[in-house]
Amino acid sequence: MAKRMQRSVRLSPVLAARPSASSLEPSAIRTKGLTKRYGKTDALASLDLEVPRGEVLGYLGPNGAGKTTTIRLLLGLIRPSAGSAEIFGLDAQRQTVRAHRRLAYVPGEANLWPSLTGAETLHLLGQVQGQVDAAYREVLVKRFDLDPSKRVRAYSKGNRQKLILIAGLMARADLLVLDEPTSGLDPLMEQAFRHSVFEAKERGQTVFLSSHILSEVEALCDRVAILRNGVLVDVGTLSQMRHLSSLTVEATFEGSVPDLTRVPGVTAIGVDGHVVRCQVQGSVEPLLKVLATSGVHELLSREPSLEEIFLAHYGADSPKSGVDTADVV
Amino acid sequence: MSSDQATQLAALTRPDPLQEATHPSAVGANPASVVRRLTGRKARRSGALWGLVFGIYVVSQVQAYISAYKTQGQRDALSKSFTSAGGLNALVGPAHELNTVAGYTEWKSVGILTVLGAVWALLLSTKLLRGEEDGGRWELLLAGHTTRRGAAVQAMSGLGEGLLALFVITAAATMAIGHLSTVRFAPAASVFFALTVVSGAALFLAAGALMSQLAASRRQAAAYGGGMLGLFFALRMLADANSGLSWLHWTTPFGWIEQLQPFTNAQPELLAPVVSLTAVMVVATVYFAGQRDLNASTLPDRSSSRAHNTLMSGNAGLTARLIRPTIIGWLGGVCAFGLLLGGSAKEAAQSLQSSPRVEETLRRLDGGGGEVKAYLGFSFLIITLLVALIAAGQVTAARREEATGRLDHLLVRPLSRRRWLLTRLGVAAAAIVVAGALGGVSAWLGVASQHVTISFSNLLGAGVNTMPAALFLLGVGALVWSITPRLASAAVYGILAWSFLVELLGGIVNSSHWLLDTSILHQLTPAPAVAPDWSTNVVMIVIGTVGTIAATLFFGRRDLAAE
Repeated sequence: MAKRMQRSVRLSPVLAARPSASSLEPSAIRTKGLTKRYGKTDALASLDLEVPRGEVLGYLGPNGAGKTTTIRLLLGLIRPSAGSAEIFGLDAQRQTVRAHRRLAYVPGEANLWPSLTGAETLHLLGQVQGQVDAAYREVLVKRFDLDPSKRVRAYSKGNRQKLILIAGLMARADLLVLDEPTSGLDPLMEQAFRHSVFEAKERGQTVFLSSHILSEVEALCDRVAILRNGVLVDVGTLSQMRHLSSLTVEATFEGSVPDLTRVPGVTAIGVDGHVVRCQVQGSVEPLLKVLATSGVHELLSREPSLEEIFLAHYGADSPKSGVDTADVV
Repeated sequence: MSSDQATQLAALTRPDPLQEATHPSAVGANPASVVRRLTGRKARRSGALWGLVFGIYVVSQVQAYISAYKTQGQRDALSKSFTSAGGLNALVGPAHELNTVAGYTEWKSVGILTVLGAVWALLLSTKLLRGEEDGGRWELLLAGHTTRRGAAVQAMSGLGEGLLALFVITAAATMAIGHLSTVRFAPAASVFFALTVVSGAALFLAAGALMSQLAASRRQAAAYGGGMLGLFFALRMLADANSGLSWLHWTTPFGWIEQLQPFTNAQPELLAPVVSLTAVMVVATVYFAGQRDLNASTLPDRSSSRAHNTLMSGNAGLTARLIRPTIIGWLGGVCAFGLLLGGSAKEAAQSLQSSPRVEETLRRLDGGGGEVKAYLGFSFLIITLLVALIAAGQVTAARREEATGRLDHLLVRPLSRRRWLLTRLGVAAAAIVVAGALGGVSAWLGVASQHVTISFSNLLGAGVNTMPAALFLLGVGALVWSITPRLASAAVYGILAWSFLVELLGGIVNSSHWLLDTSILHQLTPAPAVAPDWSTNVVMIVIGTVGTIAATLFFGRRDLAAE
């Protein structure tokens, strides 16, 4: 493995088709009581999380929720105050180098060496990684429309982000740890990124995606974990979350809008003329009974979007909570 | 509609208290002067610090002269011995009226402090202008109540405040020491002297600001300015070394400043070309600031290049590639200084014999090679300082890699922290070894050019003797960085400044050996005057090595601290 570190390995298409790891291997990521304290503040509080191999996990949370702290703990860049993290069964703190052979990381802010060109940067990072799919690197350079002959200092923010994305993806690592990887990318490049993540997923690579772009997470991820104030508040597939979340109901009345405030399970009532919008938690039967006797003209209901689920987890902190979700969104 | 719903609707239509609060209120300070205040605050702090260094230097030179040359006869002998000191003239400029305190202070201060001030000014102005722009902070300021040209004017004003701090403290120190009955500098002469020694700084503050507009990055701006400084200094040296080329004085600002002669033959009118050139560069700075795009250069920049992957094979290659320009600059400086030192040693050593105290010290140090050897023994302190500065710079560079987050890109790959740090320090140590050896070899070349017989091995040994202090500083600096990264730069430069100060003042006042022993420079014997103390050198290297090993352990146990 030591030799592998020092030289760039060109993987043949056949060998590169699937990750080399055995299916009997442990989860790609496993944390137990992972905690990070800064003074009296818990940046991350007792995180228990498992990401199976081959899964794409969306990691959500507002600014300061602890997403980047989690990632830096997984990468061994900072030390946990308590608990542990494993990458493919390897301790992220004690077996860092071995763990890093299995992963690639893309940060949200690409602060690179300004005097190097893009090609030199890719060459260097590939050499340090010890594993590069050279043919795929060329594909990525074309896909992201990057001119690698330019010096890093001459790149725009978006182009620097493309460069660091290519550097992460070209290793074909078993685990991709992506921390807001599309910040600064235009919509076309965002599509190119999604395409690359789909490719990685097809190859069986595991992806840990921290993002603020909920549509991106909704499109790419098998499961979603939501973090709030350093605490994991929800984790599951979108359908599981939708099942447990409120239903959005919009009703149009012929006459005046009935009083829905006392209907069990109904929250976030918003009234606009003859139209009322609300959220329903649990059974819709009590609401339907009231609507049936109130001359309802039109009734629409839909499952919550990821954005609504996400906001629901932070609604308690919002000054407009319980008044009108649509306004908050 | 129920009363509850009416309440909810009323709540929706009521003006949002957050929106009500969005009317901005005026803050105390004028928003149009933010850039000046920000730049000024940093420049004043730096100017005051260097003003203290200048002041201490001037005071130490005066004290050194008074204590070394007590009688007028000794002073006259010193003055006479310097009539043909061509080599030394090239180094620090020609001497006038060396039989007076004023003449000696002028000779020992103007040449050295002018160059030191120019280096300070160049680094400060490129950092506060182009460095801020490279860091992306400039565009935040430009989005405020100013324009690109307005911001440049404000930044120049802020730099002016730093220059003022430098001038005031230097003038105050000169006036204070000049007040002594044994010195007697006229207050006006002291002020003009301070003006003279900071005029180089004024010129290079403007030069740095102009280069910040012409270059593509701070590093490039500093390199252009450094080239300009080197050229001006070389022209001044040529003019002073050869009387047939004295007309070259008029081609370089260092030549103009040298002829101001604040204490011996004051010519204030010669400030005019310095002020004019400074003004031209200030105007050019403001002009180009408005002409170019933000983050772009005025001069054509090679934004594209063919990949040079020879050194890009990993961490060691990257380190070598990143530090290459800086190290080449330092090695060039060490070589140039070694050559000058060797070339001027014969004349300088002869002239210093006019002081009984110095003569006695030289005799005591003389290990058989004569006064030249003894003089070199004293003067190698500067080469030791230059080599130690390489170590301090490399500790700071390691911290910068971490602070900018660039280190993350390497450590998230299969590269251990220990290996990264050891490689980085190993490359720095190699640079230190080369610098020390080059210092010895270049001094030997200088000495040989004057037909003085000092063996190559003797001077190479003196060069090697400069390394332990640097290796000690590298190890201890790395240890401090591994524990408290934010204090690393302050620690290494603080140790060096303290050591230099103790060396400077220790020779003047009768300091206790406890105080002298706190200086890392004092631990080294003054080779080639006496043989290097290899046992002490080994101890220093071992301490540096232990510091390095401890640093790898501590670095592996702390969080990375990006800013």
